[in-house]
Parts: sequence; structure tokens; C-alpha cells
Amino acid sequence: MTTLDITTARSVPARLRPRKANRPKLGHTAVGLLMLAVMLFPVYWMVNASLQPSGNTLTADFLPLNPSFEGYEKAIAQQGPNLLTSLVISLGTVVFSLAVAAPAAYMLAQFRFRWINAALLAILISQMIPGIVIANALYAAYNDLGLLNSIPGLILADSTHAIPFVILIMRAFMMRIPPSIVEAARVDGAGLVRAFVSIVLPISRNSLITAGLFAFLFSWSDFLFALTLTTTEDVRPVTLGIYQYLGTQVSNWSAVMATAVLSSLPAIVLLVLAQKYIAAGATGGAVK
Amino acid sequence: MKKASLTCLMAMAAIAPLALTACGGGSSQSAPNEKVDSLTVLDYYNNEPDKTHIQGALDKCAEQLGVTLKRETVPGKDLIQKVLQRSSSRTLPDVLMLDNPDVQEIAATGGLAPLDDFGVDTSGFAQGMLDAATYEGKVYGLAPTANTLGLFYNKEMLTAAGIQPPKTWDELEAAAEKLTTGDRYGLAFSAIATYEGSWQFLPFMWTNGGEETDLKSPKVAEALGFIDGLVSSGSASKSVVNWSQADVRDQFAAGKAAMMINGPWQIPSLAKTPNIKWAAVQVPVNGQGQTPVAPLGGEVWTVPQTGNKAKQAKSAELVQCISSDENQLALAKERFTVPTKTALAGEYVKAVPEMAAFTEQVANAQSRTGKLGKEWPKTATVMYTAIQLALTDQASPQEAFTKAEAK
Amino acid sequence: MAERDRRRRGFRREHLVQALFLAPAALFLLLFFGYPVVKNVVMSLQEYTTRTFFTGEAPWVGLANYATAVGSSLFAPAMLNTALFTLGSIAGQFVIGLALANFFKRRFPLSGFLRSMLLLPWLLPLIVSSATWRSMLDQDSGILNAFLRNLGVIQEPVPWLTSPSVALLAVVLVNIWVGIPFNVTLLYGGLQEIPEELYEAGAVDGATGWKAFWHITWPNLRPVASVVLVLGVVYTLKVLDIILGLTNGGPANATQTLAVRSYQESFVNFQFGVGAAFSNILILISLVFAVVYLRMNRRAVDE
Repeated sequence: MTTLDITTARSVPARLRPRKANRPKLGHTAVGLLMLAVMLFPVYWMVNASLQPSGNTLTADFLPLNPSFEGYEKAIAQQGPNLLTSLVISLGTVVFSLAVAAPAAYMLAQFRFRWINAALLAILISQMIPGIVIANALYAAYNDLGLLNSIPGLILADSTHAIPFVILIMRAFMMRIPPSIVEAARVDGAGLVRAFVSIVLPISRNSLITAGLFAFLFSWSDFLFALTLTTTEDVRPVTLGIYQYLGTQVSNWSAVMATAVLSSLPAIVLLVLAQKYIAAGATGGAVK
Repeated sequence: MKKASLTCLMAMAAIAPLALTACGGGSSQSAPNEKVDSLTVLDYYNNEPDKTHIQGALDKCAEQLGVTLKRETVPGKDLIQKVLQRSSSRTLPDVLMLDNPDVQEIAATGGLAPLDDFGVDTSGFAQGMLDAATYEGKVYGLAPTANTLGLFYNKEMLTAAGIQPPKTWDELEAAAEKLTTGDRYGLAFSAIATYEGSWQFLPFMWTNGGEETDLKSPKVAEALGFIDGLVSSGSASKSVVNWSQADVRDQFAAGKAAMMINGPWQIPSLAKTPNIKWAAVQVPVNGQGQTPVAPLGGEVWTVPQTGNKAKQAKSAELVQCISSDENQLALAKERFTVPTKTALAGEYVKAVPEMAAFTEQVANAQSRTGKLGKEWPKTATVMYTAIQLALTDQASPQEAFTKAEAK
Repeated sequence: MAERDRRRRGFRREHLVQALFLAPAALFLLLFFGYPVVKNVVMSLQEYTTRTFFTGEAPWVGLANYATAVGSSLFAPAMLNTALFTLGSIAGQFVIGLALANFFKRRFPLSGFLRSMLLLPWLLPLIVSSATWRSMLDQDSGILNAFLRNLGVIQEPVPWLTSPSVALLAVVLVNIWVGIPFNVTLLYGGLQEIPEELYEAGAVDGATGWKAFWHITWPNLRPVASVVLVLGVVYTLKVLDIILGLTNGGPANATQTLAVRSYQESFVNFQFGVGAAFSNILILISLVFAVVYLRMNRRAVDE
């Protein structure tokens, strides 16, 4: 069932284990669908609103029978490049956060340093700081470093959401890796780096993907840094694109909702792909 | 270059986080005779159709002055934050738009240049708007157009009920009661816990002789009592405490409110629901002989202190140009706002008759910061808190302001 | 930057590599969190107003800002609301999240797809979710009241956002909805890591259903669950956008929390020193939680 298979001297490979009698599981699917329907009703309501001619939900019927695609036309025409920007920034955040955080998480999980609690506390403290405090401080620094209006600048800033979080999460998962496996490899003469790359990372694939998913989502939904650290339209994530439809006096809700719906699509595709990968990892069994 | 700033960052991180000024970009050299060919502009018209209308006026002026413009638009509620950041990093724009109640606050920081430094002519503008843009006797900005509040009413609903548009509080109360049926309320207004709630209360308060400098006066309590009565009698929804002015417009456009207190900027979006036939009158008064006094809304264009005298002079020309007669009329027609030069009123109402009530209202309108200056935000907070306390039955109208002030 | 090797026992190279594993993260934390925190603490000890941004002058006022913050009549209600908001949100998110994660642990047709779709609420910008919820929670024409009325659950419309006694509950409900994806994903990951053999062995000893949950799932899930809970608390304490979007701290200050106070003092009243004081108080409260968490964690490790 899990990627920890190699850690337990498994006598019977997973696929040979006797399976329970195949109950019809469609009942579960129905229950799952029902739960999802409840959870996603607000999302449906949003889509419904995005198809209303005025974006006015007060006159909205339960079904958008007279859909107006005005909001979508606007969104498609104006938000395409912004979607791409968001994707690049989010993926960059994933790569950077995992590269910085995974080695640190492994150290904090597997080695007993005397100052480990202090380190964990510091990481936790970093998660307590309201975003606005960080954003305002970064603005001044970025201004001197020439990082305003740059994709690397936003990747670094968005990583502030992700890095501490990924360290904590990966550490929680890596605590479960028995040191004996790594030590076995070390006895064979592998260095720490090699042991990490060829043993620890593959074992932790699930948690890496989970953490990466979160890094992506944090970055994808960021608005504060996008607003604070850009001063031109050169680099404009889609969250900021959405805000441009919110005027001081009049807001174009159908365009807002349409953009939100559209911008969820690529992200959903990624989510489904990532989770397929996790599932494959879980059934794929042992990592040799 | 980069190395220096990195060291600087390290130094800042290590010792003096406030040594911003020491590390600030030194881009503001001043050579009075240099040729200015580009200006940066910052405003909050980030949404259509305003974004394009304003761009049109800016482009016209830029062409006249022979400069190119780099414009940045940000969401309204984040503008002040941006301005403060920019002033700390010495990267203020050359031309800055501010909502009129914020002008004095920013002028007080020393971040804006008085317009008479550049010989800008400020005569002929509505006094309320000049008051808003004046700090310690100097005018810091000009607004091409202004807006205010009035009473919109649904023509068909009033006709069907045989009601004339109300002119007094008594008439308004009676009309609202009569027009309330089923899922429709007689009146909608905004009493939300933001400045919008305070702004919507001002016409009732000021008309009744209440003053923002003395919120505990019986006149203010009477105005609050009137609003409170509308809600507790059911003529207005209890939801007003959570409605922004856009929500109020949605209620009216959906036919769920027969009348509403709102501003002319809602007219373009009301055009999207042509089945709602509306007209507007001035906000009703409490007693005979009172003049309807409403608050003055609108945005002011200012010239920040960037240290570059040549650019500032050019920016001042741009500010003057945006508020020229021609541009005022054009913007007023496009955006359903009122020209701030009082002499233009007649011509404007001829062109846009549905703006008659609002134009008349602007002539007597007051600025929110005319008396209080930068103390206004604090008072506005007390106001919307008191309104909320009264409308949610946490306090009587008489004690609401006392209770809200006890912060 | 790197820590000095304290013990010279031939492990120098090993230590160096360990240090290299940690260095990037340490450096990042220092630059991107250390500096802002220091700045915020300094700010809270100064009279920091709009003027300061332009002149750079901010006179030292000692603890006056903290006195203002704690002395304001909104402080006690804000503390209470923060506590209620956090407890309510975390309890709801965690319990529902754990139940859903457990449910999705079983394999059934479409399970993976449904689970990824659960993350959808997180992909929406908060401004959009709060606007949507506002229209759903509207007292007169909101779909939620219409739905409850048709079911016969309520006779009178519930004043979700307009009554001081209900508004906090409404905000908590929306925040639970926003937080469920986070909890489900992490807890599901934790459940995935629990070896199937344990359950099989447990089943032989008669531990199934609830028993299996208490004796097998929960102890094995603890490290992940405690991270989820503590991070959940820390994140919830600083929630701002949802409250601003739904009620803006109203009605009649019924949904004022420390985070909302901090924001409003800074960006509505321009009292940046007081705002910083509020956010530092918030950070301190989070700290207390963190220390408790580390204690718990140490116990778990020592087991």
C-alpha cells in the first residue's frame, strides 16, 4: 500500500495478498459525490453568477437558463498572459521551495541536534507573521535590489508561504523513515548527499508531492505579494488580474467570477495529475 | 552597484530596519531645465469603464504637453498603502490621484507639493472640493468632477402606489412603508462597517444640522433615530448593516427595493437592467426650510514631492489640464459625475438631464474633511460603529455615539 | 553563516555536509522573516504614522502603543472573538477534514478525482469566495436561508451576517469551508503512510472500526495531526481577508479579531505603531501555542 514497503521485510508482495471480496463500491462513490456537491456548492453558485447578465445573484435562478458569456469573453481576452505568469510563478515556487526545504527537513527529522527545538520554534514563528508585515518589509528591500516587477522576486516572496510549511510537513513525514535504511546505504560507502538523493527522496515521494501541491496552491492563491511587489503590468499574476475588475465604485462581478472559474481550470488539471501520480506511487509498491 | 545594495540590505536586516532613507534609491536628482518627456501616474481607476475614460483624458493632456505617461492602477482600498510604500522608498509617482478625504492626510506627511508653487489656477472650483484638497491654507490638488448622494426611486413602483417622490423625512418614511410588500423593501441604503456606511449617513446628519465635530448632539441622534426607525419598522432591510453601496444598487436593480440612497456612479450599471425605470431626487430633508446637504465624493489629482522640480512643474500642468473645462465636461458626461467648476453646471445639465438633482446637490455639498482634516478617519469609524450599534439594537440612537466613542 | 563544528572527531566533513543541507533554509528564514519581524517590533515601539513614511522620523514611545492596544475597549472582545473564531474553525476543519480523509482512504471508483476536486475551494481567491458566500448568506434573498426554509429547518430567516450574535458563527462556518481542503490533503497523506499490516494485525486482535481508529490510526497519525493542528491554529489566528470580505469586523464589532484590529489600526486609522503592537500580540499568542506543540512533540519523540 505504501512507499514504506521496503522498510518492512514484506513476505507477500502486495499484489499477491488476498483481496477482500469485491463489494460494489459504487455506494461509496455516491456518498463521495454527495459530499463533494455540498463542499462545492458555493463554487457552483459562483459559476452561476458568472453566467448572469449583470452578475447580480439577487435575480439569479438556480440554473443559469439565459447564460451570458460576456464575462468570459472579457476574461479570455484579458487574462491569458496573466494565467501563464501565475503558472510560471507557482511552478517556480514549487521547485525552489522543495529544493530549499527538503534537505533541511531531512536534517531536522533524522539528526538529533541540541538546538532542534529552537530551530522548529523559529520555523513556526515564521508562520505566525501576518503576510502584510512581510510584504511591507520586502517592498523596501526589493526596491533596492531591483527585484520589484520580476518573476524571481515573486517566486522568492511566495516561497515565504511555502518553505517553513514544507519543512514542517516533510519533517513530520520523514520522522517515520527508519534510520536503519539510510545507515545501511552509508555502510556501503554512500555519502550523505547520495543517500539523500537515491534513498530518502524516493521514499518520501508522496510527501514531496503533497508538499509541492501545497507550495503550488499557496503561490497560486497569493494576492498580497502580487499587489505589493509589482508596480507595472509587466508581471501580473491572475489574482491581481481578478482584482482589476473590482473597482472602487463599481465592480464587474461577472468578469471576476468568470476569471476565477477560468483560472481554476489549469490548476484543477494539475491537481488531478498530481493525485494520479500519488496513486500510482501508492500502488506501484516498492522503490528499488 | 548591486553589491552595494546587497550590503545595504544586510545592514538593514542586521541593525537598523528603519534606515530606509539611507539606502533609498537616489534617483531624484534635480535639474530645473532638463527636458521632461515622460511622467508616471498612479490612480485607482482599475476597472472598466472608468479606466478607459480616465485614460482618454490623460492621453489628451499628455499629447498637449508633449510627454508620454506610464500609468499604474491599483485596487481602491490598497492605494494608500501603495502611496506610503512609495514615499518610504522615494519612488512616488509624478502624478498621484487620491480619494478626496485622504488628501489632507497625505499632504500632512509632507509628501505633496502645494499647487501654487507651480502657479496653478484654482479659481472657479466648488468650495467643498477645494476644502477637501486644502491643508494648512494651501491647495494640494484638483478634481475634474465630483459625485454625491441622492435618492433614486423606481418610477413604476411609485406610480403604481400613487406616491410622489418624497421631499421630507416624513414623506420618505410613509413612502417606504407603503412600498414595502412581499420580498420588496421600500428603501435600501448602506450602513456597512466601513467608511461607506458613514458617508451614506452624512446627508441625513448634515441636513438636520448635525456636525461631525459634535456627534453627541441631539440633531445627530435624531438623524440616526430616523434611519433606525426605517429598519426597525421593516421598511428597510436589516441587512443594510452588511450592504455596500454596490449591494444596495443590486437590490434596487433586482426590484427588491423601491428607493435607494446612492450616487450617480451607479447609473452606468443601472443601464444594464433597462426594465428598471428610475429617476433621482435630492436626499429628503427633516423639516421645512432645510437645505439638503450631502457629502462630496470624487478623486483629486495631486503632485507628489519627488524632488525633481522640472518633472513636478510638468505634472502640475497635467493636473491643471485634467481639470480643464473641456475635460471636466467630457469626463462628467462619460462617467455620470458632476463638473467641479460651478460655472459648467448649466451646460452639463442640458447635456445630461438625469443628472439635474445630483448637480444641484453638489452645489451645496460639503467635504468630509473640511472641518476635521486628518481626524476624519477616526470620526468616520465612530460614526459607522454607532450606526451599527443602533441598527443591531445594541444601543439606542441617543447613546450609540457615546458608546461608539468609548474606544 | 554555517554553524561552527563543535566536536572535532573526524566528522568534520560530515558536519559540513549537514550544515550545507540546512544553510539555504536558514538563510532564507533569516532574510525573509527575521528582517520583517525585527522591523515590526521596532515599529511597535515608535509613534509610526503616515508622516514617518515620508520623513523617516518616528519618535520612540516605549510601550505606549501596547498600552493603547490593550487599553482600547475593543481589545477584550477582539481577544474573545479571536479565541472563539480559532477554536471553532479548527475544531470544524479538523474533524470534518479527518472524516473526509478517512472516507477517501478507501479506494472506490473516482475517489482520486473527487479528492482532488475537494481542493477547489482553495484555488479561488478569497475575495471571490467571500463575495459568493455573502450573497449566499444574505438574510432576505440568500440561497442558504431559502434552502433551510424549504427543508422546514427554520421558520424565520437567519440573520447570518446582520446580527451580532450570529455573525461570528457565520464567519467561522465560511472559514471552516475554506480550511477543509488543507486538512483533508495533509491528513490523507498521513493516513497513507500508515502500513496496512498494522490494520491487518489489529483486525486479528479484533480491533476494527472505532477501535482500530483509536488504537492504530490515531497514534500513528499523531506527528502529522499535531503539525496540522498547530499550523491550523497559527494560520487561523491571522485570518484577515475572509472576515474583511464578509463583515469587515461588523456588525457592531461582533467579528473584530486581533488580526482585523491590527489591519484597521494600520491601514484605516494610519496608526502603524498601534497596528504593529496588535500584530505582535498576535504573534505572541501564536508562540504560546507553538511552545505547547513542541512539548507535545518532544514527548512523542521520546516515546
